[in-house]
Amino acid sequence: MKKKVLATIVSAAMVATLLAGCGAAAEQPAAQEAAPAKEEAAAPAADAAAPAADATAEVGDLDFKIVVKSFQSSYWQAAVQGVNQAAEELGVKVECNGPNAESDIADQVNMLTNYINGNPSGIGLAACDQSACLDALQMAKDAGIPVVCFDSGCPDAPEGSVYSTIATDNYGAGATAAENLYKALKDTIASASAPVRIGEVNQESTSESITLRGLGFIDKFAELASADGKKVAVVGNEFYVNGAKDKGDEATADVIIEVAVPAQTTVELCATEASAIMNKSDVLGIFGSNQVAAEGILSANENLNKLGTEAGKTILAAGFDAGSVIKGAIKDGKMFGAVTQSPLAMGKTTVETLVKIAYGTPVSDIATDGYWYDNSNMDAPDIAPNLYD
Amino acid sequence: MEKKKAPAKIFKQELIVFLVVVALLIFFCAASEDFRKYTTILTIMDYSYYIVLMAIGVAFPLITGGVDLSIGTGLVCYSLAGGYMIVHMGLPVWLAMIVTILFGIVIGTLNGFLIGVMGLPPFLATLCTCMITRGLGSICSGNFGISWPASGQDGSWFRNIFKYTAGDTKIPLGFIWVLILAIVMHYVLNHTKIGRYTIAIGSNKEAAILSGINVKFYHIMAYVISGFFAALAAIAYSAVFGTVLPGTGAGFELEAIGGAIIGGVSATGGAGSIIGTFIGVFVICLLKTGLPFIGLQANWQQIVTGLVLIGSVMVDIVKKSKEAKK
Repeated sequence: MKKKVLATIVSAAMVATLLAGCGAAAEQPAAQEAAPAKEEAAAPAADAAAPAADATAEVGDLDFKIVVKSFQSSYWQAAVQGVNQAAEELGVKVECNGPNAESDIADQVNMLTNYINGNPSGIGLAACDQSACLDALQMAKDAGIPVVCFDSGCPDAPEGSVYSTIATDNYGAGATAAENLYKALKDTIASASAPVRIGEVNQESTSESITLRGLGFIDKFAELASADGKKVAVVGNEFYVNGAKDKGDEATADVIIEVAVPAQTTVELCATEASAIMNKSDVLGIFGSNQVAAEGILSANENLNKLGTEAGKTILAAGFDAGSVIKGAIKDGKMFGAVTQSPLAMGKTTVETLVKIAYGTPVSDIATDGYWYDNSNMDAPDIAPNLYD
Repeated sequence: MEKKKAPAKIFKQELIVFLVVVALLIFFCAASEDFRKYTTILTIMDYSYYIVLMAIGVAFPLITGGVDLSIGTGLVCYSLAGGYMIVHMGLPVWLAMIVTILFGIVIGTLNGFLIGVMGLPPFLATLCTCMITRGLGSICSGNFGISWPASGQDGSWFRNIFKYTAGDTKIPLGFIWVLILAIVMHYVLNHTKIGRYTIAIGSNKEAAILSGINVKFYHIMAYVISGFFAALAAIAYSAVFGTVLPGTGAGFELEAIGGAIIGGVSATGGAGSIIGTFIGVFVICLLKTGLPFIGLQANWQQIVTGLVLIGSVMVDIVKKSKEAKK
C-alpha cells in the first residue's frame, strides 16, 4: 500500500515537472489568454505524433519545433514572441520548448531527441552546448529533418544537418562592447602609472554565443590596448585564458583582463564573482556578457557603489542584452552601456527560414547585428525596438 | 542529569563554530587586502539573510530526524509567484509578500502531511515537493525570470528592510531581523511545546507517541515552520538580488542544511541549536564570499565548501561515538 502511494506521488511529481517544461511552449505572460489550440501544443511532446486535425491550408501542414536555451531571461521571451509572430503570419504550426535553466544541457538534448522522433517538418535550435547536440543532429539528418540553428551555432555539426545558422555575430558583438569601453577608458589607461584591471563575468564557458562574446571582448580590448603600447595579460577562468589570442604575462602587464565564471548560471553567483573583481582597487571597467551576468554586476554594485560615469565612481560597466534592470541602470548612469541583439527578428527569421527550407528554397547563414546603446541613444528608432523589458 | 548535560554541550558547539567563523575572517583578511573592507561585510550579509532564514526553518525537520529538500526550489517558486503578482498583476508589494509567505506555509503543510500523516520518508517526500515547486515556479512565472522592483523603482521600499540606504552608506539592517528571529526560534525550540516535542520526535518517536504527544500534529508543524522560513528567505533573496530565475534554487537547501549541521544540529535528529545554526551559516557565507577573493575558481569553491561540510559531520559522528562509549 505504502509503495503504491509512493509510486503515485513520484509519478505525480514527474508529471508536474514535465508539464513545467512543456508549459513553456505557449504560456508566455502576454499570450496567456490565447486560443485553446495553444494549450494543446503545451501537452507533452508525445502529441507531436498525433494527427494535426485542424489543418487549414497546405502551409498549415507544416509543423515546426523550436528548442530554446531556456526561458530564464526576457531575451528569450522576445525571441519566442518573434517565433509566434512569424508562425501566425505564415499560418504554420510551431511549438516552442526549452529546459529550465541554460545549464541543463542534458534536458535540452533529450527534448531535441524527442522532437526528432516526432518527425516534424523542421527544427529550430538554440543549443546550450555546442557539442552535446551533435549526435541528435546526426539523427535529424538521418531522418531527413532540416535543422536551423539560431542564437548559438553548432560549428561542428555533421555536414548537411544544419541548413542555416541565424545568430548575432557574437564575437563581433563582444568586440563592440570592448571598443566602446576602451574608448571611454583610453585616457585613464594611458596615464595610469600602475597596472590596471578590466573584469569580465561570463555565466558559463560551454555555449558558443557566450564564449564567443567573452573572447571577442578580450581579444578586441587587448588589441586596442596593445596598439597604444600597453602590455596585456588575461587571467582567471582557464577556458577564456586559453581561448584568448594572447594570454600575456601577468607579472609584466599594464592591463590585466580578469575573467570570472560562476559555478551555476544564477544572478547571485554572478554577483559574488563580480564583487570579488570589483573590490580590487585597480579595476577600471567590467563587462557582463549576457543579461544574467550584467545583472550580477549591478547586484554587486548595490553594496560597492563603484559603478558610474559621474565623478567619484571608479568603474565603468558594460552589459549585454536588455531587460528592465539593465535598462534602468543605463538610464540613470550606473551602467555605462550595453550591446543589444535583435532577438525578436532572430525568432521571426528562424521560422521564415524553416518555411523556405520546406518549400525547397535555398538558404544560407544569416548574421544579425549587435548594437551598442547607452543613455544617449536608447530611444533611437533602430535601437528602441530591441530593448525588451 | 541528562537534561543538564545537553544545553552545556550545545553551547560548547556554538563556541567552537563561532571561533571557526572568527578564524575564517582572520584568514581571509590576512590573505586578501580587498577583503578588509566595509563593503565585504555587506556582501557577506547579503548572502547570509536567505541562507540563515532557510537554515533556521530546516533545523526543525532536521531535529525531528527528517530533512526538507524542498526549501531551495521552494524559495525560488515563492519568490517567482510573488514577483509575478507585482510585475504582471500590479499587486502592491506588501500583499505579494503575504501571498509569498502563505505559499510557503501551504507547501510546508503538504510536506508535513506527507511525512507526518502519510508516513512517507522525509527524504523522498521533500524530494518530490522539490520537483513540484521547481515546476510550479516555472508555471507561476510563465517560465520567465522575474525582477522584483529594483532600487529607485516604485515599490522598492521592501529592499530597505534588509539593506537600509542612508545617503551613500548602506546599513545591513537585515542582520538585526534575522538575529532576532534566530533568538525567538531558539526560545521556541527549547522552551515551548512545539520545540520540545520536535526534539522528542527526533530522539525517540515511539516514546513520544507512548507518552501521549500528538506526534502527527507536531511533526507537521516542523515542516510548516520550515516552509514559512523558506518563504521569508524568498523575500530576503528578492530584496537583495532582485531577479529570480525559474529552474534555479536546487542547491540552496544544501547550503542551509550545511549551515545547520555545522552549527550543531545533529544529522540524525534529536538535538540542535538555532543560535548554533545562525553562526554555522556564516561559515558557509564566509566561504562563499571569501574564496573568490583569494582567487579560487568557482569549481574549487564548491569543493572546499563540500570538504568543510564533511569535516563538521565527522565531528558530529566522533562526538556521538565518544558519548556512546561513556
